[in-house]
Amino acid sequence: MAKSKEKLFIEAMKKKFEEDPTEVNTHYYTFGGWKQSKRKREWVEQANQIAKKRGIPMMNQDIGVPLGQRVLMPYRLSHTDIYAEADDLHFMNNAAMQQAWDDIRRTVIVGLDTAHSVIEKRLGKEVTPETINLYLETVNHAMPGGAVVQEHMAEVSPALAEDCYVKVFSGDDELISQIDKCFVIDINKEFPKDQAKQLKDAIGKSVYQVVRAPTLVGRVCDGGTISRWSAMQISMSFISAYRLAAGEAAIADFAYAAKHASVVNMGTMMPARRARGPNEPGGIPFGFLADMVQSTRVYPDDPARAALETVALGAVIYDQIYLGSYMSGGVGFTQYATAAYTDDILEDYVYWALDLIKTKYGGLCNSKPSMDLMEKLGTEVNSYALEMYERYPAAMEAHFGGSQRATVAAAATGIACAMATGNADFGVNGWYLSMLQHKERHGRLGFYGYDLQDQCGSANSFSYRSDEGLAFEMRGPNYPNYAMNVGHMSGYAGIAMAPHAARGDAFACNPLIKVAFADKSLPFDFANITKEFGRGALREFMPAGERTIIIPAK
Amino acid sequence: MAYKRQFYPGESQVAKNRRRYMDPSEKLKKLRDVAMDDVIRILGHRAPGEDYKSIHPPLAEGSEPEDLIRQLVTPIEGAKAGDRIRYVQFTDSVYFAPMVPYLRAWMYMTRIRGFDTGTLSGRQIIEMRERDLEKVSKELIDNETFDPAKTGIRGATVHGHACRLDENGLMFDAWQRYRWNAKTGEVEYVKDQVALPLDKPISVGKPLPEADLKNMTTIFRADGVDMRDDPEVMAINLRIHRLRTLCGYQAYALKGE
Repeated sequence: MAKSKEKLFIEAMKKKFEEDPTEVNTHYYTFGGWKQSKRKREWVEQANQIAKKRGIPMMNQDIGVPLGQRVLMPYRLSHTDIYAEADDLHFMNNAAMQQAWDDIRRTVIVGLDTAHSVIEKRLGKEVTPETINLYLETVNHAMPGGAVVQEHMAEVSPALAEDCYVKVFSGDDELISQIDKCFVIDINKEFPKDQAKQLKDAIGKSVYQVVRAPTLVGRVCDGGTISRWSAMQISMSFISAYRLAAGEAAIADFAYAAKHASVVNMGTMMPARRARGPNEPGGIPFGFLADMVQSTRVYPDDPARAALETVALGAVIYDQIYLGSYMSGGVGFTQYATAAYTDDILEDYVYWALDLIKTKYGGLCNSKPSMDLMEKLGTEVNSYALEMYERYPAAMEAHFGGSQRATVAAAATGIACAMATGNADFGVNGWYLSMLQHKERHGRLGFYGYDLQDQCGSANSFSYRSDEGLAFEMRGPNYPNYAMNVGHMSGYAGIAMAPHAARGDAFACNPLIKVAFADKSLPFDFANITKEFGRGALREFMPAGERTIIIPAK
Repeated sequence: MAYKRQFYPGESQVAKNRRRYMDPSEKLKKLRDVAMDDVIRILGHRAPGEDYKSIHPPLAEGSEPEDLIRQLVTPIEGAKAGDRIRYVQFTDSVYFAPMVPYLRAWMYMTRIRGFDTGTLSGRQIIEMRERDLEKVSKELIDNETFDPAKTGIRGATVHGHACRLDENGLMFDAWQRYRWNAKTGEVEYVKDQVALPLDKPISVGKPLPEADLKNMTTIFRADGVDMRDDPEVMAINLRIHRLRTLCGYQAYALKGE
């Protein structure tokens, strides 16, 4: 057996089950069914009142399968002390999860260089720090829904759009020092020195604005709306701040830049058959999601945490919200996806792997990718993960779906392989090694996707040809082999983050996105993802986009 | 030299078991004899003695168009008669049940004709013409691939394969389709596959001792036979990964492997 120091998941297992985590036998059918859950009792009361009021039956916990024949176990949000009921980790019941997605969807990054070039070269006007400050003041009036050009306009209540603003950043320290601090995401202040240097080198003298459209806009319309909302208000703000003619031909350049040439969407466009716009979750490359996660910035000495936080965000955005609801529907994905970020099980496997790499494989990023390394390291980590399920029946029952175990074991293997080599493609090849070994060992894996995509994924791990492959950081939920890979996305995202966290990189794929989410004004804290989900579960998280101001008081 | 089917690599007990279950020349041991009418009751598709429902006229009536495949493939009895396609689905506990889902699929492929099968982590379904399905179901309940405590017959709400065992060693079933009879020491079904109550309990016999199960099982586990202790199984599996990684599905193109 692998070395037997206290496993990180033991504490959560003891909280979940009364028996010792190594005990095979327990008792069932004696817990009072759904009534053992505080949340479900609360809901039955709510449903009864609603049914009475509207005259139409509603949720009735006595319909269908008898819930709660086992203990309805609590879930510990990994690397926190927060325990939550499973129900409270469904995104419908969790305001923090909703806000995490809102904050991504309502973000676009728009370069200012093109607009400044048009103003200076085409219109012969000067752009100075003073004019940029004036523009930022103007756009922070316009973006939430303020009018700047026409005098008889309907505007938006600021109370509905208090989360809307525009900030700027640049690698040009001298310019940034002259911009009003309230408008700046200061790379030097937010990032450790070495990371700040990497980011500034990558960004150069270019200036970018980060647009946060109102949360409500994203909810009422869609992700594809955000660049349009933003582009219109940016164009109007240029007209006002630089005293331009509203109809002159050059104005089209501002709109074109803001909508197309200089905009970075958080989610790329998907094929028409997916029927989604840009800035929707299916279009977010894994590397972009990794860059939204701020663990490397705030906890730079803990690369495993960074990978695990990315797993958590990926589970909610890709699995629970995108595949679980956008593409599938139903309520089943929560129970499934939470396995990757609860109860410190994946934590244990990843930190164990990290120790292994340091003691036996020369340390992080010190190995060159090779099939021999893959077979040794990948087998060792994967076998450890599967052995833990076998030695600790509590862990096996906590992940009682085979798909959960398949993803968690493969994620640990993939993250380990990525961290040992500093190479995400090598990491995802480790994922597939795990899948093949897992299927052979237990004679089972997961749902059909694990039996299809995961059996052939070894063949495309290193493929770069168009339509067949991409660098792993640039693949996403819409990569052909992954498009229906339910439950996999969390692990994939973690593998995209892992090599970069291990290398000490400031970003995984896109430096602009990394900086854009280093923003204290966001309601959701992307440096503490599982903690935020936990606060959402405990109903301690305050979201944006509430409509209280325009509805009757209760 | 004619190719001789090898079925499965390895010399561990688990590998040998997998190989034996898959080899159709190996006769599987019959451990119990559940009456056919009781099997039909547990399946829940029709009442014992009730006529089979049909979805097309008997093939003998000759209403089917000419077709090369029809000439090549001899239909199974239920297809000849026009039976509905119905199912039986098994859940196998990770705690040393005789079967694992994939082995069911592989074994069915070598031993049964005229079925469709699907494999997931917690259940394994066979869909088949009804009269043929009943015969196959009886065989699979009667023989050594079934253990009353560690194997479940479940149409829906199948989870339990990875849950701990109850105080009598039975696999968890949210519908409690079966129960432990302390007087007889046997497991008896009180609900059918989709959890509709049966008129009377149906015994499927005594659970096998754990030592026997560990000897018959097809799951590799660290507390049983660890897959790492079977070098040939490990080597074959790693080779599959290596070949797919290095050359996709053109294994023949790889030199020196």
